[in-house]
Amino acid sequence: MKIEIRTAVNGRELEAAVKPNQTLLEFLRDELHLKGSMEGCGVGVCGSCTVLVDRRPVSSCLMLATNIEGKQVTTIEGLAVGDQLDPVQQAFLEHQAFQCGYCTPGMIMATKALLSSNPRPTEEEVRDYLSGNICRCGTYAEVLAAVNSLKERLPQNSEPNHAQVATRS
Amino acid sequence: MNALGADVRRVDGPAKIRGWAQYTADIELPGMVYAKVLRSIYPHARLVRVDASKAEKFPGVVAVLTRNDLKEKSAYYGPVVKDQPVVAMDRVRYVGEVIAAVAAEGRDIAEEALDLIEVEYEPLPAVFDPVEAMKPEAPILHKESARSEIRLDKDSFAFKSNTNVLNTYHVEEGDIAVGFRESDEIFEDVYTSQKIQHGHIEPHAAVAYWEPSEKLVIYTSTQNPSSIRAQLAELFDLPQSQVRIIVPFVGGGYGGKVHPRLEPLTATLARKARRPVQWVLTREEVFLTAHCHASVVKIKTGVKRDGTIVARQVEAVYDTGAYALTGPSTSKNGGEVSGGPYRIAHQHLTSYCVYTNTPPTGPYRGFGVPQVCWAYESQMDDIARRLGIDPLELRLRNLVREGDVFVTGDKLISVGISDCVKHAAEAAGWQHNKEQTSRELSGKVRGKGLAVMIKTTMTPSNSSALVRLNPDGSAVLLTSSVEIGQGTQTSLAQIVAEELGLPVERVAVTFPDTDVTPFDQSTSSSRTVFTMGGAARQAAYQIRQQLLEIGAKLLEADVEDLELVEGYLQVKGTPEKRRSIAQLFQARFGAAVGNMVGSYDNQTTGGLDPRTGKGKGSAFFFLSACAAEVEVDTETGKITIQQVVSAVDAGKAVNPRQCHMQNEGSMIMSLGSALFEEMVFDKGQPINSTFLEYMPPSMEDHPRQFRSLLVETPHPKGPFGAKGVGEAGLGPVEPAIGNAVANALGGIRLKNLPLRPDRILAAVEPATGEES
Repeated sequence: MKIEIRTAVNGRELEAAVKPNQTLLEFLRDELHLKGSMEGCGVGVCGSCTVLVDRRPVSSCLMLATNIEGKQVTTIEGLAVGDQLDPVQQAFLEHQAFQCGYCTPGMIMATKALLSSNPRPTEEEVRDYLSGNICRCGTYAEVLAAVNSLKERLPQNSEPNHAQVATRS
Repeated sequence: MNALGADVRRVDGPAKIRGWAQYTADIELPGMVYAKVLRSIYPHARLVRVDASKAEKFPGVVAVLTRNDLKEKSAYYGPVVKDQPVVAMDRVRYVGEVIAAVAAEGRDIAEEALDLIEVEYEPLPAVFDPVEAMKPEAPILHKESARSEIRLDKDSFAFKSNTNVLNTYHVEEGDIAVGFRESDEIFEDVYTSQKIQHGHIEPHAAVAYWEPSEKLVIYTSTQNPSSIRAQLAELFDLPQSQVRIIVPFVGGGYGGKVHPRLEPLTATLARKARRPVQWVLTREEVFLTAHCHASVVKIKTGVKRDGTIVARQVEAVYDTGAYALTGPSTSKNGGEVSGGPYRIAHQHLTSYCVYTNTPPTGPYRGFGVPQVCWAYESQMDDIARRLGIDPLELRLRNLVREGDVFVTGDKLISVGISDCVKHAAEAAGWQHNKEQTSRELSGKVRGKGLAVMIKTTMTPSNSSALVRLNPDGSAVLLTSSVEIGQGTQTSLAQIVAEELGLPVERVAVTFPDTDVTPFDQSTSSSRTVFTMGGAARQAAYQIRQQLLEIGAKLLEADVEDLELVEGYLQVKGTPEKRRSIAQLFQARFGAAVGNMVGSYDNQTTGGLDPRTGKGKGSAFFFLSACAAEVEVDTETGKITIQQVVSAVDAGKAVNPRQCHMQNEGSMIMSLGSALFEEMVFDKGQPINSTFLEYMPPSMEDHPRQFRSLLVETPHPKGPFGAKGVGEAGLGPVEPAIGNAVANALGGIRLKNLPLRPDRILAAVEPATGEES
């Protein structure tokens, strides 16, 4: 049995027939071939499948595809306009806020959601909000720096604390 | 232009921030079907009956794989010993072992069909604790397994059969009995560490198909395409040229993807299905597939009153789980450095690789070393406290120095460890000979701790590289090194660019494809920059020499007077007469066409004699230090990390930012295992196999003060002096935190990881219970 839905993904309106138990993530990856949203945990806690549904962040591994009926879905593929990167993508690129990159689309989408609801979050708020996006490579310092750079007012010490202390030859 | 030593932006950035980076699970092939597997519910059982006939008839099912499809003599694989079956044969040895696999038109169909497979078990006695498993009365997991011939270190082991102790490594120096007799004080402790999951956010994934010529092609999320190819060729009795491994981006490895995990089953199922088969694990299944060796480490140390360490005896037991994978190598690797980075006249070091009825382990960032580092560095602070010597001072007195001969017989070169610990201590505000904490034992108390580490890299090993220069002044490095997040494509491009005087963006680095890219031992052991980087540099050097010789004729100059700068060749300091790469191709080939090619096989030699434990243990040694400050809430047992500083000796940082990020990754990962990460089992049944119950550190756990320091002590054999850094920072973090906790608690020592709140409470309130 399939259910007809009307939705819009990355600005493109579409109609689709989905299985009642199909997750939004499966719909995006398997039906629309949008492979940028990643499955990490399948239980909505690692954040790598984060997409925006009506501008709110959602773990697409938990939401059913039928629930996007009449809603606007934005995935990582929908952020850039042609060669013009979204400011969040640009900040992640400039601060090299990724390593293996698997959690990166979800991290970027969560940051997008954070800044649209709270353009000037404190560091505490950033940590709290993004604690639902796990980066096992441990790139948190660079992500924090990227998010800090996007705030209207730049706080101090937004760069990771690196130092090259001794060079011997 | 200096490509080398600069924070060059990562070449994989644009794809990764757009969601365009391709991972294995993103690959769709025409006709592809999906695999799901049935797993054992018993930790140890004889398989009386496996009947998949109903599942085979289920609509949408394309193939079902059980032991009936395999022949006993060709059912097993493994990198060191061939003990692991593609699917369970006569028995299962851990909860979660694969008994059968279904390939179907949809994942949900495959899942449903699994319910139709009938399995009858006859439970067997099981053993879960590695120390128990060593006892003669323990149930034996494996009678005898065939040795694998694929590893260069295959002669480093002395395997035993009919025991759970698969391998014992032993090395000694001096006379341990004399050493203890000469000691003024003796310290004896037992330290333990837990099972930790790698937690790569990308689960294991593979896609396999067979070409009509019976050639096997696999896309897989692996750190080790060459080893996968060799093992699959052995398994299917094919020449290696009939197995092709392609590796797209890998979403984190940390050791968990070094050896075959999904590939043997996916390939076998694809052969039966005659269709491409995709198998992607769920997170729960990742927990059943690999983890870090838990350990029990007995350590006895004799010291003089002045702080000189005289004698050290270590017995380290590594729980390798139900299958060996590289367990014998991991335990050897831990054993050889279990005395620590110290000058000790009398050493007696032993390590054991032991089977238990728990999921298989395999390499984990640090490869057996954090387990022993936890023991020797924790004990070091107890020694300092008893002798009244500052912990930094005690370490500096005993640390190895340039040119020392290590217990393995290796002569140590590029030894920046004293610099590492001094800089880490200084950055953390360490004050000599001063109590680092308040002596209060109630409320919230603070303390500081230090730790150091020495680690080897896989030796012997082999990496080949091929560089192709194009007439447009671009170059391609063909390599089987895997981009697992560490930035290898960028750092290798920098090395080639530096050698050829090209802008770094003109150098492309391939993804591994074993039909095209040359052999590489493994993207692990933090060896890529040192070994593959060395190969890439030498390959580029060959092209450099060709360019210089052409240029010498063209510019009527001596080769020594020429330089390659920004894609041009010129007499040093005279850019006005420079020649482009295209002009050099023109001079050589008559037109700007063709390729100049360089290649190099970079071999590191050595290995340890299994009888003596000695030889050449490592092509280079990792040296690192950590300083930590904690606040311990003695009411709740909660530990808050106030600051953590990690200093690693990078030799020469090819890309300092990437080195820092690798180091930060090690620090965060180790903070998790120091404080809370722990795979829990109840009689072999996994209790917390999801990210709901087992949570890796999140941004909320990221310490407010968090510093990475790089020390650079060039290594003569590394490209431009570089060594590896990927794992260097991991080991010292746990004991530095443990030492900070002990310091905060006035010397109360916790010996079991992780440092859970209940353990802290039990330690500070001895009346209410013993530390568990």
